[in-house]
Amino acid sequence: MEDRFLNELRRDPDPRFARELRARLRAQESKPPERTRRLGGALAGVLAATLVAAAFALPSVRASAQAMLDLFRVRKFAAVPFDEARAEKLHQLGSDNALMVFDRHETVLDPGAPQVVASVEAAAAAAGFQAGRPGYLPGGLTADTVRVQGAGEARLSVSEARLRALLDALDLRDVQVPAGLDGKVIEVRKPPVVIQQFRNTGRLRATVVQSKSPELAVPAGLDVERLAEIGLRVLGLDPAEAGRLARATDWRSTLLVPVPINASTFRQVTVHGEQGLLITTRGRDADGDRRREGSLVLWSEGDRVFAVLGNLADKDLLQMAESVR
Amino acid sequence: MANDTMAIQRAWTWAIPAREEDWDALYAEQLPRIYNFFRFRVGDGPVAEDLTSVTFEKAWSARHRYRRDLAAFNTWLFTIARNVAVDHYRQQRRHVSLEQAAEVPAETTPEDLAELHSDLEHLARRLAVLPERERELLSLKYGAGLTNRAIARLTGLGESNVGTILHRTIAGLRAGWKQGA
Repeated sequence: MEDRFLNELRRDPDPRFARELRARLRAQESKPPERTRRLGGALAGVLAATLVAAAFALPSVRASAQAMLDLFRVRKFAAVPFDEARAEKLHQLGSDNALMVFDRHETVLDPGAPQVVASVEAAAAAAGFQAGRPGYLPGGLTADTVRVQGAGEARLSVSEARLRALLDALDLRDVQVPAGLDGKVIEVRKPPVVIQQFRNTGRLRATVVQSKSPELAVPAGLDVERLAEIGLRVLGLDPAEAGRLARATDWRSTLLVPVPINASTFRQVTVHGEQGLLITTRGRDADGDRRREGSLVLWSEGDRVFAVLGNLADKDLLQMAESVR
Repeated sequence: MANDTMAIQRAWTWAIPAREEDWDALYAEQLPRIYNFFRFRVGDGPVAEDLTSVTFEKAWSARHRYRRDLAAFNTWLFTIARNVAVDHYRQQRRHVSLEQAAEVPAETTPEDLAELHSDLEHLARRLAVLPERERELLSLKYGAGLTNRAIARLTGLGESNVGTILHRTIAGLRAGWKQGA
């Protein structure tokens, strides 16, 4: 009995069983996600991970006289590499809800599930901005569906104790949490989003996503640089690198995008003359595990942010992004 | 689609609705792996199909909770499959001990009978008397076709430990196979 013999014992499932199960799963795919889960998970939960682990601060520290808030808006994107081991640790913590460093979250405006609309024009009308569309569609791609998701708004209250617990769980004993953080309320505003999907008759897929810049409002005087440094440590950067990056980054205009380095590469690109970020995932990661190949380009123009993603060659994806008008 | 387009999922998920996965492609890719994982755990027949169905239905119904930035889809799916297997064995233990299971096929359907003398049935009998950990590692390695590193990640064991246990287990199976064949 050999190793090969064991491998050869694998069999394809019965085609009828495979078909029937697929049909049942299709029925689930057509159901919208549960509303409570959307609020708790997709908005508040991800916000927690986003704000703490990724980019504590979005752009533009701009005092708002009326609200006494600092307002942040996305203007450009930059990648920050992190490794799979840290990703898995964060995944475990996420399962235990330990990434939730907010003790109160209030959904002011529920964005709802994305709705399919008849055309890009209809999407633009619903979203309230002139949506661009790609003029270049490689590989026989054609327009498939257009969806719009409404605006969303949430308020979250920071828990210093939870943040400390998260740092302990990651064994980041040397990280100092700024005083006076407890109970600070962060407001997140997500403008409507337009999503255009494209597919060919084979396996090529591409998606164009656009919206006005999301906004993050934090209490004036919050030490954004320090919080960003904590976020970078959570992502696994060493103290020196986190400090250097936190000081060097223009938090008024930059959203950091964490990129798992064992599976992906990234580089700066230019789209419509603006600085953008291209992230590419290989078919296999450094461990030899299969990954779904594809690329993502992010960029910002004026008050809008764009993403084009798909399983296209980088050259085609960039050309497609460049053709969005 | 890029598993790490996903980077955006961490940094921007709240701003951009989850991208629709290519579920057809995911299903086609993962179905044989999950199905064979269960064949190695419980043998051929309807039980392997049932457990495969349960795994996919659980995954699909929870698909909005899947965090692309934090784990590959197959890692997530196999985490669910392992839990389904644990639940299955927990229920089985209420009715029949593991030792008894080694003596008597749990499900005796016509398909099982037809395959009673097949290699897999032979193997299943030998697997049934292995400790749970060894059985699971063999199923992940040879049923699902995962690498030692992927298995280590799923089980929390060290990669070299996985390799050592598998090597030792296969050696034991080989010896038993020769005697029992």
